[in-house]
Order: sequence, then structure tokens, then C-alpha cells
Amino acid sequence: MSDQRFIFSDVMGSDSIYKKNGRVAFYVTTGLILAFLIYYAVISTLGPSRKMAELISEFGPKVEEGQKTGERIYADSAYLSLLKEKSWLQAKTLMAQTDSIYLAINLADSTAEIEISGVIVHSAKISNYRISNILQNGDRNVIYSLFSQPLTIQNDVATIKKEPVMIKIAPKDTSEFQPDVIPDTSLVEHVNLILEVSQGLRIYIYQEESDKPAGKGSTFRFDLYDRLYYAWNALRSAVLFRVPEYQPYIKIKIPREDVKIIYRALPRNGQIAVYS
Amino acid sequence: MEEEKLPDIEQPLSDEIPQFRGIIVILAERLRKLRNVLHNDKFIRSLKIISIILSAAISALAILAFVIYFVPFLKESIPVHETVVTADHELMKDPLYRKEISNTNRDLQRLNRKYTNYTSGQSYVVINTTENRFFLYRNKQLVREGFCSSGSYTMLKTAEGDKKWIFKTPKGKYRIQGKTTHPVWRRPDWAFVEEGLPIPSSNDPSRYEYGVLGDYAMAIGDGYLIHGTIYKRFLGMPVTHGCVRLNDEDLEVIFNTLSVGSKVYIF
Repeated sequence: MSDQRFIFSDVMGSDSIYKKNGRVAFYVTTGLILAFLIYYAVISTLGPSRKMAELISEFGPKVEEGQKTGERIYADSAYLSLLKEKSWLQAKTLMAQTDSIYLAINLADSTAEIEISGVIVHSAKISNYRISNILQNGDRNVIYSLFSQPLTIQNDVATIKKEPVMIKIAPKDTSEFQPDVIPDTSLVEHVNLILEVSQGLRIYIYQEESDKPAGKGSTFRFDLYDRLYYAWNALRSAVLFRVPEYQPYIKIKIPREDVKIIYRALPRNGQIAVYS
Repeated sequence: MEEEKLPDIEQPLSDEIPQFRGIIVILAERLRKLRNVLHNDKFIRSLKIISIILSAAISALAILAFVIYFVPFLKESIPVHETVVTADHELMKDPLYRKEISNTNRDLQRLNRKYTNYTSGQSYVVINTTENRFFLYRNKQLVREGFCSSGSYTMLKTAEGDKKWIFKTPKGKYRIQGKTTHPVWRRPDWAFVEEGLPIPSSNDPSRYEYGVLGDYAMAIGDGYLIHGTIYKRFLGMPVTHGCVRLNDEDLEVIFNTLSVGSKVYIF
């Protein structure tokens, strides 16, 4: 009987040790996760300043030391206003010199226009837009210089195919011949698009139709996948003790049909001009 | 003395409160069962496991929300190197400032002139292949618009896979290279392959079809034409082999408005 009691008390003792160890492990794990999250948040917030520093070194005005007037000119409102117009026209003129199709996003006028050689072939009304803090409030001189060059599309992600190619196998003889199926034009496709452009910028073009649950859900899922992809890359950098790359963005909302038109019209490495 | 018989617990005390009594008994029974269940180790363990799983799921969601929503929000909230925009009257008198403003103004005017020159005052047609619509401009004014048909994006492959054709309308800037009235369609190889017919020799009479391209055709290069159609019900749909089809009235107006060399913008 006493042996049994001893065994029982021993089991109870080891059980409490396990419980204690488990609790310690829980607190340590929670602490580590919290510490990593704080570290991740801190290292991520370094991204925008680093990106701004990169842009300043590449596009910032070269003012010689001691030239006070030069510095003051670059902050003057009249000069900046002229520079903004000049950058916009410069980027558009460079694109118009080619015979290619390009996109001109004018946030001030709320328009996104497809142009070919200076001719506006399609115009879409921007109903809503959001822009990165560094593009909105960053050094004006640097931002206008950045936008004085066309932004070249390097990659794109969309909810529709760029070229909706259907494969048809030719019939062996006339008995196998079947006339083409007439396309169903009543189908509604939800269209959202991300264009990764030069200088590490991202241009999001969302459909504005979100009144129906399916449209809202489609946009939410598209946005969620993008956020997860972006966060995954940032986490990988953070684990390697590198500052995650910050990609300034421009997000616009236009009618669904216009998103489709823009996506299908722009060439793979098409160019974009932005007027902010 | 006869012992007084106590009422059975299941039986009502009186006719006035039978339901009330019954409910209390049922409730007491339920509570007793619940107490037994709560004292059952298996149930407690299950509850603990469920609560651990729930806590873990909520924590994971919270971490996810922190990473994908809060951190990006935080990044956008950090102040960056901002420009303090000034409007200094003293600066305006500075010769360096005036020179800079003058240079920028000159550049702006030059760019404006250059850009305006790109927009031609001549007649041109714009074709939207996504919506299958056309827009005819004369002196920068829209004079006519309507439906057209463009490439179907069908890829035709032979069963052996040795030959393939893709039926899409080319995009970009083109010019009218030639104009024809009463055009005759010379059927290319794919027109025979598509119908399962043997490919005839290049000058075989079966290659020539009359009246299927409408009254007019305008060539834009690489064998692509803007022409009429006998399949008018398909206008507004992507059904062609790459050419642009129009109805008879629109085709006539465009044919008469555009001349050889006129621009055709397709997107």
C-alpha cells in the first residue's frame, strides 16, 4: 500500500514538473514571438527612410556646399510647381516618341489615360486613390525628378489573363468541322491588377465596383494574397537581419471595364507616367 | 391509524401547480446531469484542448493581422524627409533663382510644343479591341463611333501540332497602306486547316471568295485589313481572325474619311 502511495506521489511530482516546464516553455515561446514581432516592426519601419535616401541619392538635386540660394530654389513653391509640370510632360514626351501604348495617370485630374504617340485613345475616371507617404510627403524635388522618367512595367499580377487565348485543334476532315463558339459577353469578370514598375514602385489598379458581395470578396482576396506575399518576403529579409525592401505604391480605383482595357492594352514592358 | 400517503414526486401536488412542479423537477435533473458532466475529467480535458486550440488560432490571426495590416500601416505613418515649401519674395530677386525659373519655363514651353505636335489634326480611327468599339476622329473631334469585331484570341493548331496560328488583332499605331473597293478575300492556309479541308496550291481558284469582305477594305499592314462582314450579328464580339470587321454604313464613312497614310490606333 505504501509502495503504491509512493509511486502515485512520484507520478504526481513528475506531472507538476511537466506542467511547470510546459508553462516556462509557453512563456519563453510567447516572449520570443513578441520580441520577433517588435523587431520585425522596427526593422520594417526603417524601409521607407532607406528608400527615400536611395531616391534622394539618385534623383535629388546636386547642390554644391555653401550654395544657400540653390537649396532655397529647390524648396520654392513657384519653382516646384513648374518642375511638376515639366516632369509630367517630359515623361509623356519620352513615351510618345515610341509607337507603343502607354498609360498616363493624372492623380490631380483623377484620370487614367491610355495614349499612343501623344493621342489619348481611352480615358478612365479615377474614383478613389491612395499613395505612399513618401510619394505624397517626400522631398518634392526628388519625387518630381523620379516621375520625370517613364516607369517601366517589370512584372504584373492580375485576376484575369492578359491574352485570353483559347486553343482549338484543327479538324482532320470536314466531317469533324464545328463552327466557333460565340463568346459569352454577359460574363462578369472581377478585375484587379498590380503593376510592379521600375524604381521599386507598385501601381495597384482596383475595380471600383464593390457593391456586390462577389466583387468585394474578390478585391479583398486579391489584396490579402498580395499582403501575404509582401509580408512573406519582408519576414524572410527580417530573419536574415536585412531591412525589408519597401515598395512605395499608388493605388487607384477605376471602373472594372477600364481596368480590363488598360491591362489588355499595355504591352508586357509598357510604360507609365504619373502626375501627382 | 392509517399512515398518510405522501404524494409521489412525479405526481402533481395539486391541480393548480402541476406544470410548475414538473419544470422544477426537470431543471433539477438537468442541473444534476450537468454537474456530473462538468466533474467528468474527459469533458474538462476536451474543454481545455478546445480552449488551447482557440487561443492558438486567435493568437495566429492576431500575429497575421499585425504582420500584414499593422506593420504596413506603421511604415506609412513614419514621417519622411519632407520639403518645406517656401515662397520667399527676397529669393525672387536673386539672379540665380530668376535664371533657374526662366530655364524651367523655357523647357516647359518646348516640351508642350513637342507634345502638342504629336496629336495630329488629320483624321484617324481608334479601335478598342477589349470592348470591340471604334471611334472615328476628324480635326480632333469625334465624328462617329460604333461596334466592330476584332481578333478572337483563338490559337488554331493542327492535330500533329506542327503548325499553329493565333487570331489576334495587332495593337499599336498603324497607317492605312492601301484602300480597295469590292475586295476579294484570298483565303490563307489556316482558312482551309480550320475547316478540315486540304490546303490547295497558292493560286487555286478555291482560295478566292467574293463578297465576304463587304464593299471596302483598308490594309494596315502584315495582311491585316479593316473590312465589312456578312456576320453582322457578331459585331461587338471578338470573333475575327485578326482583321477588324465593321458594318456597311460605318465602313463606308471610315473609308471615305481616311486616306492612305491616315493613322489607325489599336489598343
